[in-house]
Amino acid sequence: LKDRLAAALKASRADYTEIRVERTWSSAVTYRGRRLETATVSEDQGGFVRSLNRGCGWGIASFTSLDALPAMVARANELSRAVRLDKPIRLADTAPHVADAALDLDGDVRGISLAEKKNLIEAYNGAMLAVSDAVVDTQASYRDEVSEVWYVNSEGTALAQLRPEVAVSGTAIARRNGTIEKGLASIGLRKGWRSVHGLEQRFRVAARRAVDLLDAPRVQGGAYPVILDNELAGVFIHEAFGHLSEADFVYENPQAREMMTLGRRFGKPVLNVGDNGAAPHLRGTLPFDDEGTPTQDTPLIQEGILVGRLHSRETAAALGERPTGNARAISFRHPPIVRMTNTYIGPGPAGRGCADLIKDVKLGVYACGAFGGQTMLENFSFTAAWGHMIRDGHVAELVKDVVLAGNLFQTLDRIDHIAGDFTWNQMGGGCGKGGQVPLPVTEGAPHVRIEEALVGGDV
Amino acid sequence: VIDQLLGAARVNGGADALWRREERTAVAFEAGRLKTAGVTEEAGVNLRLVSGGRVGVAGTTAAAPDLEELVARARASAELGEHLELGFPPTSPLPRVPTFFDRAANASLDQLIVMGRHLVERLAREGCQVNVVIEREVGETAVGNSAGARGGYPATGVGVTAEIVRIVADDVLMIYDQYVGGDLPTDGDLDALVRSIETRLEPALSVVSPPEGALPVVFTPAGLAAIVLPLEQALSGKMVLQGTSPLAGRVGEQVLDARLSITDDPLAAGGPASRPIDDECVPSATTPLVERGVVRGFVYDLETAARAQSRSTGNGRRGIFGKPVIRYTNLIVGDLRPTPDAPGRGAWDVGRALGGGLLDGIADGLIVDDLIGVGQGNVIGGGFSHPVGLAYRVERGTITGRVKDAAVAGNVYDLLKRIAGFGTDGRWLGARWSPSLRLDGVSVARR
Repeated sequence: LKDRLAAALKASRADYTEIRVERTWSSAVTYRGRRLETATVSEDQGGFVRSLNRGCGWGIASFTSLDALPAMVARANELSRAVRLDKPIRLADTAPHVADAALDLDGDVRGISLAEKKNLIEAYNGAMLAVSDAVVDTQASYRDEVSEVWYVNSEGTALAQLRPEVAVSGTAIARRNGTIEKGLASIGLRKGWRSVHGLEQRFRVAARRAVDLLDAPRVQGGAYPVILDNELAGVFIHEAFGHLSEADFVYENPQAREMMTLGRRFGKPVLNVGDNGAAPHLRGTLPFDDEGTPTQDTPLIQEGILVGRLHSRETAAALGERPTGNARAISFRHPPIVRMTNTYIGPGPAGRGCADLIKDVKLGVYACGAFGGQTMLENFSFTAAWGHMIRDGHVAELVKDVVLAGNLFQTLDRIDHIAGDFTWNQMGGGCGKGGQVPLPVTEGAPHVRIEEALVGGDV
Repeated sequence: VIDQLLGAARVNGGADALWRREERTAVAFEAGRLKTAGVTEEAGVNLRLVSGGRVGVAGTTAAAPDLEELVARARASAELGEHLELGFPPTSPLPRVPTFFDRAANASLDQLIVMGRHLVERLAREGCQVNVVIEREVGETAVGNSAGARGGYPATGVGVTAEIVRIVADDVLMIYDQYVGGDLPTDGDLDALVRSIETRLEPALSVVSPPEGALPVVFTPAGLAAIVLPLEQALSGKMVLQGTSPLAGRVGEQVLDARLSITDDPLAAGGPASRPIDDECVPSATTPLVERGVVRGFVYDLETAARAQSRSTGNGRRGIFGKPVIRYTNLIVGDLRPTPDAPGRGAWDVGRALGGGLLDGIADGLIVDDLIGVGQGNVIGGGFSHPVGLAYRVERGTITGRVKDAAVAGNVYDLLKRIAGFGTDGRWLGARWSPSLRLDGVSVARR
């Protein structure tokens, strides 16, 4: 295959050409209630070509038939030439890399029978169903894949990467009369079969939570001091700031560049944020991104000040900065775009915990777990899986439907305390952008306190 | 391929298969400039078989698939699969519905580029970034089963999305709209797209403080997503079977406002999801789900129909990998439905503009055009709570400006019992057609 790629590259008449070919082996087992829904093994394969010519734009072609590779290389070149540009696209320099980079498979999932995978997820599903008769429905999924990715470009980079992934997730639905609630457990890892055992308790807790929420009142809407647990704080920083730091949002927009000027203050000095695609053993980790740039730890906010952003080679060149290894594509069906990897809020002082953040809050909300988040850049939402009221410095009653409304400029700046209890939260699912979903990412954070945030709900 | 594959399957419990090929051409304008032109070619086959009474599936995107290997994988899947008597439908005549449009299929790359450039020029404004993507898809689907049914159709699809990003100091305004259809958009369609964005942009230029309390809120067709989503889930036969649909067991009951109807319609003229047959060989038919507020039925695919001892409504959708799942086709929501004379496109006048004429009598309230985080809460229960993405304040019957940092919340089942008004602005948004709805008593919280 490497020879075929080299030959196709050589035949390209474009000024710049890159080719990515992927072969993904995956298996999945899903339970729904007491029934096994599916157990499948799939193989997906295809290629992607992207070309660039002087004075022209990008031409791209993706395809499932590898026999079409030479034709697709020619096609991408034609498409590039059809796009006339007055202002040329430049790519920031990166040194060419030639590497075979196989991530640790940690128990190759391809060698494990579908029946064993079924037994594993059946046990987790059973753990949820056994919690209570009120658990009327469940969904429990096991999914794994091993992706072989070959990447070559006309500047001499040639990479072969092996990327494993494994995820187990469970949703428990509890119902009493007209009230329906859900609990969620989700674990996604860039690892293999050995890493997804012994997780029954996570599933049990999720189902218990769904049942407990049946009796919980909806949170009263309004502005409160809010403490985020590690998981929700991670989702928060991904939505609140991560997407804004993706340079494709700013590089073509002068007003956005001004708004996101490096050196601008976004938070109090307690706030440190970064994105680290090279952190070992995390779901968003890769040795190289999908343009062949090595990944790295990129500081984004240091002591409250904007110090960096995430780049592809194109956005880095446009802003006169350096590529950060954040050009990612979810598959051969898509071009690489600027994405996060493992995004984090750095820890506060060691020894400071959740209780220290809560103790002087008279009335507030302790928002826990994450059902998800979404951003429209300035404004964003992050949805907790459950919450507790904080009354007189103590965690009080359980509340549900805790959805936080964030504003980039106000919410970040109102983070006034950060605990020292940092954890990476490796959830399944993933991030969506530009029609590319789900992209494996990780978020990491300690407990975080926001002086005041808007919580939706009845008023 | 279908015949060969069904031949290779050789199982006594029956089998069905889908083959699909798609070629997509896309041009993307970023910040007003054409930056990218691309093509995507994809083909694949999906096989389901019943072996030893158990159901298994397998799929592949290989160019020349090894059929024996695919069958072996489907059989391995069946070893773990559930016992189910799938009723593979026999061959039957298919309804006629246009899915393929020559103009769309034959449009050249240059034509798409010209259309995009024209749109960019019309949307260009000082201080605004304009992004436009035009996608054209030409596809072919073939389905067949061991009961002898065969079906297939060519299809075209065109998507035009336009977005304006306006940043002034720290205020970020994003306005988005789209055309989705089987054919190329007409000049009227593109006019409507431009006007739709202008209608949203102008009143958004000034920011006003949000109101607070239980208030009347007009949900535009775009803003309605959060309101319709719980109903879409509850009207799925799957949710009924799982015991989680609040509408299960309520067929024949008046549950929603007596003017509200919800219909799944794969035969809707010009509907983006129209087609003559589903992915499991079931001929397309219109399925009334809610008629004048009364629950009439649910959507099923073959599997859920077999388990519910019901009939498939022709809502089976399959990808290349995995088994078929229930999917709505065109979902028609409202008091009316699109007609050939008024398809909900190209007819944008002042009287029908933002809010669809529903603002009269609102002393203080909101128009909600976009909410953030839709789908991420506990959807099936009907409760929703979302920050506004794009919303306007309405005072004494007129729009006074855009609001930010507000959140709306409520329960869909409570709010839809009495709908305060239906707009006259019914339109397609993707494969959903609806007018604006005014709901009273929606909780609006602010900071």
